[in-house]
Amino acid sequence: MSATTVETASRAPAVRLVVPKHHALVRLSHWANVPLLLGLIVTGLSIYWAAPVFEHPPDRVTRSTDYVADIGIWIVKHVPGAGPARDPGGWIYNRIGIGTFQLSHALRLHWFFAYLFMANGLLYVLGLALGDGYKALLPRLSDAPEALRMTRYYVGVVPAKLLRRPWPHPPVRSKYNALQRGAYFAMPLLGILAVASGWAMHKPVQLHWLERMFVNYNGARIVHFWVMVALATFVIPHVILVIADGWDTFRSMIVGWSERLGGRHGRD
Amino acid sequence: MDETERPGEGVPSEPPSEPAGEAPVLPSLSPGEGRAESKAEASSASPELPAPAEETAPAKEPSPPPPPKSPPARRRISLAERLREPEEVPIELPASTLRARSRRDFLMFGAGALAAAAGFWWLLPDGTKQLHLTPGLRDWIDSLEARLGADPKRRERFLNRVLTFDDDVAEALYSADRSVRTYSKSQVTPLRNNYAGRTPGPDYIPGWTLTVSGLASGQIERLTIADLLARFPHRDQVTRLYCVEGWSIVAWWGGLRFADFLRAYPPAPGARWARLDSAVALDGAGNPDPYYVSIDLPTARHPQTLLATHVSGRPLPVEHGAPLRLLAPMKLGLKNIKAITSIAYVAQEPADYWNDRGYSKYDGL
Repeated sequence: MSATTVETASRAPAVRLVVPKHHALVRLSHWANVPLLLGLIVTGLSIYWAAPVFEHPPDRVTRSTDYVADIGIWIVKHVPGAGPARDPGGWIYNRIGIGTFQLSHALRLHWFFAYLFMANGLLYVLGLALGDGYKALLPRLSDAPEALRMTRYYVGVVPAKLLRRPWPHPPVRSKYNALQRGAYFAMPLLGILAVASGWAMHKPVQLHWLERMFVNYNGARIVHFWVMVALATFVIPHVILVIADGWDTFRSMIVGWSERLGGRHGRD
Repeated sequence: MDETERPGEGVPSEPPSEPAGEAPVLPSLSPGEGRAESKAEASSASPELPAPAEETAPAKEPSPPPPPKSPPARRRISLAERLREPEEVPIELPASTLRARSRRDFLMFGAGALAAAAGFWWLLPDGTKQLHLTPGLRDWIDSLEARLGADPKRRERFLNRVLTFDDDVAEALYSADRSVRTYSKSQVTPLRNNYAGRTPGPDYIPGWTLTVSGLASGQIERLTIADLLARFPHRDQVTRLYCVEGWSIVAWWGGLRFADFLRAYPPAPGARWARLDSAVALDGAGNPDPYYVSIDLPTARHPQTLLATHVSGRPLPVEHGAPLRLLAPMKLGLKNIKAITSIAYVAQEPADYWNDRGYSKYDGL
C-alpha cells in the first residue's frame, strides 16, 4: 500500500484514501437482519413445536414422534452441560426457541418479525439499487473455475498455516470472490423463498396459487423449515470468514468504507 | 446507521490529482456506470474520472466495438456492460471526517444493538425468561425495563396490535368471489379430533336445539336438527381444514349453506357479525367451558361456508361436533365451532374464545 498523501486544496491537512463499500441502506438492512432472523427462528421453532412436520412412529423408549425433539433428547444425553433437563424432548424448543406451549405468543411475535423482515428486504433491495451494489453480486461465467480455486484455498488454508507453508490467496479482481458471490447472491433468493413459503402457509386460501407453487400446504412448511436451516447455516462460515479477514472488513459493514485499496482479495 | 458519504460534507470536490497509487487494474466502466457509481456512493470522484480507462476497455473486451464518445451512444451500451461491476475508485477524505463518521456510525451501531437486545428481552414470554440468565439479572433487567415503560402489560398490548394489523391484512386479502380449493373424495385424509378440552358425552344430543336470535323478525327461533335437514338443500364439499397449530386434513363435509340459512332467517338490519356458541363444550377436567366464535357475515354468506351436519357421508359423530358445526374453510380450524347451540346476529364484533387467549380474531386463511 503506497502512502499517498495527496495535498489538495481542501481545509483538512491529513487526508486518507478510502474505498466506498456498502450503501447506507445495505448496511442498515444487513444489521437489522440479525435480530429479525433470530426472532423469526426462535419464534418459528415454537410454532413448529405445536405440530411438527417431520415425524416418525413413536419411539419405544422416549415416545417421541418428532425428529427435532429427538435432537434435543440426543443433546441432553450426550453433550456435557446441556442437561439435566426436565423435558429433554423440549430442549431445542426451550433453548433455541421461545419454549413449548407458547404458540399464541410465538405466532404474534413471528408476524411482528416477519413484517419487519419483509420491509427490511425492501430496504436492502433499495440500497443495492441506489449503490449499484447488486452488480458485484451478479453471477458471471468466470465464477465456476474461480469457485473451485477458492474452495481449494479455503480447504488448504488451515493445514498450510500449521505446516508454515505459503498459501497465497487466489487473485480476486472483484468486490467478492466467486464463493462469496454465490453465497451473497443466494441469500436474497432464500429470503424471497422464506417469505413466499410463509405467505403460502399463512394465507393458503386467498393466495391459493402460492400454496400450489409449493405443491400443497405441507410442501410450503417443508420449504420454510429448510430455508430457515439454510439461513442459519450461512451465518457460521459468514462470521468465521469475517473474523479471518479482519477488522477492515467488519468495519466496512458499519461505516461503509474500506482502507484496502486495490488489493481485491479475501474479503468475506 | 446513516448515510456515510454525504456529498459536499467536508469532501474535497476535486478528484485526486493523480489516479492514486493503485492504478485501476481492470478496464474500467463506460461513462454510464461512472455516473451511477458517483451518484450512489456520492464520492468525490467526478463523472469524468473513469473516462481515461475507456480507451483500454476494448483491449480486454474485443467483441463489442468501442462505444463512440458522443453522448447519444449510451443507447448502444450492451446490457452486460451496464451490469458490469464498477471499479472500486478510492476517494480521499480528511482523517478528521473519517474519525467523526466512524464514531457516529459505531455509536449508532451500539445503540441499535442495545435497543434490539432490550426489546427482545421485553417481548419474550415470562415463562421463557425463566429459562435464561440468572434470577438476579432477570429481575434487574425486568425492573429497569419496567421503569422505562416496557412492562408485561404493554407487551401484551403491543402483541395484540401486531395481531390486529395482521388481521387487517387478512381482511384486505379476502375476496367473496374466491372459492376455496376443493378435493376429490379419494384425497380425504384421516380426521382428527382436536376438541380444546374433553370431548362431551352424547347425552346432549337428544335434547339439542339451535337458538337463533338477532333476527329481522324480532323473534327468537328454536330449531331441531330435523327442521334444518328437512328445510334446506344438502351440499357436499371436500375441503382442507387448516389448524392454527400447523397440521391440516382434507375431509368430506355435508350440510346446509349458511347463506341459505341467512336468507331463511334474515338478521336484523345493522347486523354485521354472528356469534356462535357451543354450550356443551368442556375443559380438560370435564367442567363446562362454553366455546364461542365470532364470524363476520360476509364470511357466513360465502357459498362454501356450511352449517355442517355430515362428515364422510354420515351424520357428524360427537367428536366432530354432532349434530351441527360450522364449516368455514376460509378460516382457521378453531373458527369451525362444533356442536353449535346458538347463533346470534349482532352489530358489534362479538368476543371469540381463542382471541381471548391471545390468538387472531379474524383467522382468515
